[in-house]
Amino acid sequence: MNTDIETIKARSAMYRAIRDFFDNRGYLELETPSLSSTLIPEPTIECFETAFINPYRAQKSFYLIPSPELFMKPFIAATGRSVYQICKCFRNSEQLGFEHNPEFTMLEYYTVGYDEKDSIGLTKDLLSAVGIKQEIETMTMDQAFQDLAGFSFLECQKPSQIRQKAYEKGLGPFGPESWEDTFNRIFLTFVEPCLSKDHPVILTDYPRQIECLAKNDGLVKRRWEMYIGGIEVANCYDELTDVEQIRDVYERETAILSQRLDTPIPDTDPDFATKLQGMKPCSGVAMGLDRLLMAILDKKDIKDLILFPFSDMLT
Amino acid sequence: MIKAGQIDKGMALLIKGAPFVCIDREFVNPGKGSAFVRLKLKSPTTGQVLQETMKSQDNAEEITVEDLDFQYTFNDGENFHFMNTESFEENEVPMTSFPDYQLIMKEGETFRCTVWEGKILDVQVPSKVVYTVTEAEDAIKGDTVTGATKFVTLETGLKLRVPIFIKQGEKIRVNTETKEYLERVNG
Repeated sequence: MNTDIETIKARSAMYRAIRDFFDNRGYLELETPSLSSTLIPEPTIECFETAFINPYRAQKSFYLIPSPELFMKPFIAATGRSVYQICKCFRNSEQLGFEHNPEFTMLEYYTVGYDEKDSIGLTKDLLSAVGIKQEIETMTMDQAFQDLAGFSFLECQKPSQIRQKAYEKGLGPFGPESWEDTFNRIFLTFVEPCLSKDHPVILTDYPRQIECLAKNDGLVKRRWEMYIGGIEVANCYDELTDVEQIRDVYERETAILSQRLDTPIPDTDPDFATKLQGMKPCSGVAMGLDRLLMAILDKKDIKDLILFPFSDMLT
Repeated sequence: MIKAGQIDKGMALLIKGAPFVCIDREFVNPGKGSAFVRLKLKSPTTGQVLQETMKSQDNAEEITVEDLDFQYTFNDGENFHFMNTESFEENEVPMTSFPDYQLIMKEGETFRCTVWEGKILDVQVPSKVVYTVTEAEDAIKGDTVTGATKFVTLETGLKLRVPIFIKQGEKIRVNTETKEYLERVNG
């Protein structure tokens, strides 16, 4: 158990500053459920599963949300309002480290009428409001690859091409794998560890091969991630609003998810895309608030900021 | 064969045919993507430190190692010489594999060593060890600018900062990882 009063107060002050920031700008603060009977299919996220027990009906599986996105988006589609939420999210994982706690606090904010570039300015103002005032360094993922890995991934569109680059850089050998996995190997070895730790860094224009609900733009997706102190703190999309495209992503991800053998596969909602009909252009940001607090307080281990760390409950 | 995600600190592995000991392991997850593990590996034969990022699902070859007792006899400037305390066989390890270990290993002391195929991969030096101070400069009375510390030399040749009251011939306990003074030891 952590009882450091200053850390506890700092977390509380951070929440207050975040709420003031969005309330003053006319965003609605939402409170959506922690339990859902379906999840948006994401093959690499593992969930916590529980069951609703009703004496007169069959048990129904429910899942703790890994993100409030699945509730917030239909709300935005229905009301057209810019919204935010601070809530607990849950990601089941064997891999605990200094930046993961399976139960963590997320801030998600969606701004109607913004694209992901507009969200950069907004996020900079938000960081300033919580005490992080350095300039944000912004570059495309491809530029980061050219600078730190020595090649442009945009020119290596086939798995065999990027695999060739990985081998040239001394990685592997490894078995057949997706373009995305090889990209991540190179990213995690050569790029991510070398991003500046002195100031926040935003990497934009992620490869189109990494499936997500962001708008497509040729070879890239309208997506960015922000790193502070070398740790990924936020993820932003220019949200995909075309119902057919959303349905396509959904179906592809569900197909991959259903092949997973080892862990529970959550039920998914085939009507999810339809619920987003009429959603106006908007940009959403998901930010890990425990990690943001780590950056504000210059702490190196997430366990220092959590009163009852998950890993203590595992032993 | 094990999965890369199962690799732990201290485990010995075969990477591209060469033995390495894992000296650090960090789990990393890209924003969207498979789980990865970042490993810091040390080669016992060359002293080379390698950083390797693997998918947690990648196969990794763990090698069986033995823990045996070796007495550290001496170093010749290039190699550390050890003797197996049971078989009395001699074993040499390049000094580059364990940089500065001559400053923390006392000649004649026995250490638990991790061995693979006859090669010493790791020497386990306890984290806190008592050494005798062989040279101590006299403290200048009234000199508080340096914060009441001074340099001394230990029996192994290690030089470090200690409180001014430590005298030649005295014994002190040292943190062998940080090479910092911990406390004076009596008797």
